[in-house]
Amino acid sequence: MASALQGILGTPSTRRVCEQSLEQGAGNAGNRLQSCQISVRSSHLSAACLSGRSKLFLAASTPSLTRNSRPGLRILAAAGSKKLGNRKLRVAVIGGGPAGGCAAETLAKNGIETFLIERKMDNAKPCGGAIPLCMVGEFDLPLDIIDRKVTKMKMISPSNVAVDVGKTLNENEYIGMVRREVLDSYLRERAASFGANLVNGLFLRMEMPSDANAPYVLHYNLYKPGSSVGVPATMEVDAVIGADGANSRVAKDIDAGDYDYAIAFQERIKIPDDKMVYYENLAEMYVGDDVSPDFYGWVFPKCDHVAVGTGTVINKPAIKKYQVATRHRARDKIAGGKIIRVEAHPIPEHPRPRRVRDRVALVGDAAGYVTKCSGEGIYFAAKSGRMCAEAIVEGSEKGVRMINEADLRSYLKKWDTKYWPTYKVLDILQKVFYRSNPAREAFVELCADEYVQKMTFDSYLYKTVVPGNPLDDIKLAVNTIGSLIRANALRKEARKAVLT
Amino acid sequence: MASSEEERVPATNSAPSEVAVLPQKEEGDSTAQSSGKKKPSPLEKGGTLRGEAAEGKDPSPAALGKKSSAVSGEKFEDPRWKNGNWDMTKFVKNGKMDWDAVIDAEVLRRKWLEENPEASSNDDPVLFDTATVPWWAWVRRFHLPEAELLNGRAAMVGFFAAYLIDSLTGVGLVDQTNSFVGKLLLLITVVGILLVRKNEDLETIKTLVKESTFYDKQWQATWKDSEEQQKK
Repeated sequence: MASALQGILGTPSTRRVCEQSLEQGAGNAGNRLQSCQISVRSSHLSAACLSGRSKLFLAASTPSLTRNSRPGLRILAAAGSKKLGNRKLRVAVIGGGPAGGCAAETLAKNGIETFLIERKMDNAKPCGGAIPLCMVGEFDLPLDIIDRKVTKMKMISPSNVAVDVGKTLNENEYIGMVRREVLDSYLRERAASFGANLVNGLFLRMEMPSDANAPYVLHYNLYKPGSSVGVPATMEVDAVIGADGANSRVAKDIDAGDYDYAIAFQERIKIPDDKMVYYENLAEMYVGDDVSPDFYGWVFPKCDHVAVGTGTVINKPAIKKYQVATRHRARDKIAGGKIIRVEAHPIPEHPRPRRVRDRVALVGDAAGYVTKCSGEGIYFAAKSGRMCAEAIVEGSEKGVRMINEADLRSYLKKWDTKYWPTYKVLDILQKVFYRSNPAREAFVELCADEYVQKMTFDSYLYKTVVPGNPLDDIKLAVNTIGSLIRANALRKEARKAVLT
Repeated sequence: MASSEEERVPATNSAPSEVAVLPQKEEGDSTAQSSGKKKPSPLEKGGTLRGEAAEGKDPSPAALGKKSSAVSGEKFEDPRWKNGNWDMTKFVKNGKMDWDAVIDAEVLRRKWLEENPEASSNDDPVLFDTATVPWWAWVRRFHLPEAELLNGRAAMVGFFAAYLIDSLTGVGLVDQTNSFVGKLLLLITVVGILLVRKNEDLETIKTLVKESTFYDKQWQATWKDSEEQQKK
């Protein structure tokens, strides 16, 4: 940013314009503008001035500015974002899952009038239910929300080579297994405690505003307590956060485009107590062509039962065949169990082509923020909800000003910059290791290595990519290539071999 | 059962049943539905492939339904496979370790399990790691024959090309390798022979290139939007 500033300061014409428009802006009282003027007079714009916190009015009346400024510098300024007068900014959050709950909480905490619209307050969304350790700290989750702390994982290859993962965890590290209905309602209630208005309603559609200051009109069915019949109602808000999940209606209304998605199919099975002991704090992952052509099958322990499931992107109609195969692979460990619930849900594979439009932004599953390889979405949903809300708070200066698309794009930029490496790395892992049976064998072989386990868990639990020891990295690269070559060589031989 | 995949409808509780005897429903119902003009069900749209491609990027023959008749649904058994590992003492030939036999045995075991997946068991875990076979055994078995093949090809192509160029331009072999164009052609030949071994390899390379950038494009799509707006 600083070097870009110097680039802009270089041209006298731009500096003049900045001073002019800042003086124009001085008419609107605002502490930050005054501080900008001070720094301009001392003839250097401090980086803080041009950061997202304030807006330079690079007015349209000076078209020469865009031609003079260095290419690549994009100061997306609000062309006169108006002050809202005697009311606060109204934001509707559609969908009351982790993304919606965290967004509503951040908005409400900062004084914005928030409406959280959720169609089913006790919804138990079909979900793996795993949250990383950092989520507990970052979102101040109480520990009793966590049903189980998974500290061991077993990866099982197509030829049933089973590897125990988790030796490198210390006793404070775990993967938390939660029940979605418990987590979601906790986050919603917390948002309500900060002043968000919880609305039990089914969002139907919204009308686009006629100009930059007109409101969005939301049409929804309001469910009064005790009644299951919805009463049509409308609501006018200034901005909308679409947090309504993989089949988002908000996304449809803003033409966000479609994405590829996996179908995740899961059966909840109550197994006998002696078998449940094995899954006390252990989760299993099965890989193989029989279980899924491009994903994995899992056995995750829940509060008092296990969830056995699998998923696929490319062969969705055969999902039940894959589920049968997953149950077969875990047969001995879940024998005698009873299926108590069957559920399925789409999981997005990549973000939608358009995540922001005007004053509507998508977060969470609605935006498509699910990682590849592991299919993790809860943490990213909550984090994106929070980030989007923070961008709205910043852009509106805690609800005082109207926002525009540039504020929401700043959330996108922050998100992409922060999490793009994580997503890309997991995409590469999925492409390399879920490709074929030999690749899966190599994957499981590699997971036996302690360095791999440490790196994997560190990046999963804390969501930071910790650079490891370069020598170990080289050793790992060599081992990876070795495993892949060996497994592929065995497979090629298998084509020639004849079973007798 | 088809309604339980529709995520808007709360998941119906299937009748509690024992895991082992859950009847297998036909897969045909959801596909038959959408063969008409109906909107595709969630099971149909969004990335679903058809036919052989739907079984994965490199599916095993078993996944494609080509099972060998020898597999009869029993557990994998081999006198040398004990306690989830190959018994190395059984592979000694003439006082030396016969790694090729170990590789052959593992190949057969994996092939059997691909066609006949077994339940993973805690009492009888599989512990074999391919790294126990030393690296030189792998090199001797797999790399050397292929290296011989490729070097042979490169030599044939190179010799024929050198002869052709010599007959056309009169430049001898030594002088050809001294020129920049000669060196460039040599590099292209070597790389080409390494990468393109079958006709399918060309397709594979194209697919790989597309794959490596596809995810990035999906993420950048939202910024293309803003760039277009900026230009307006």
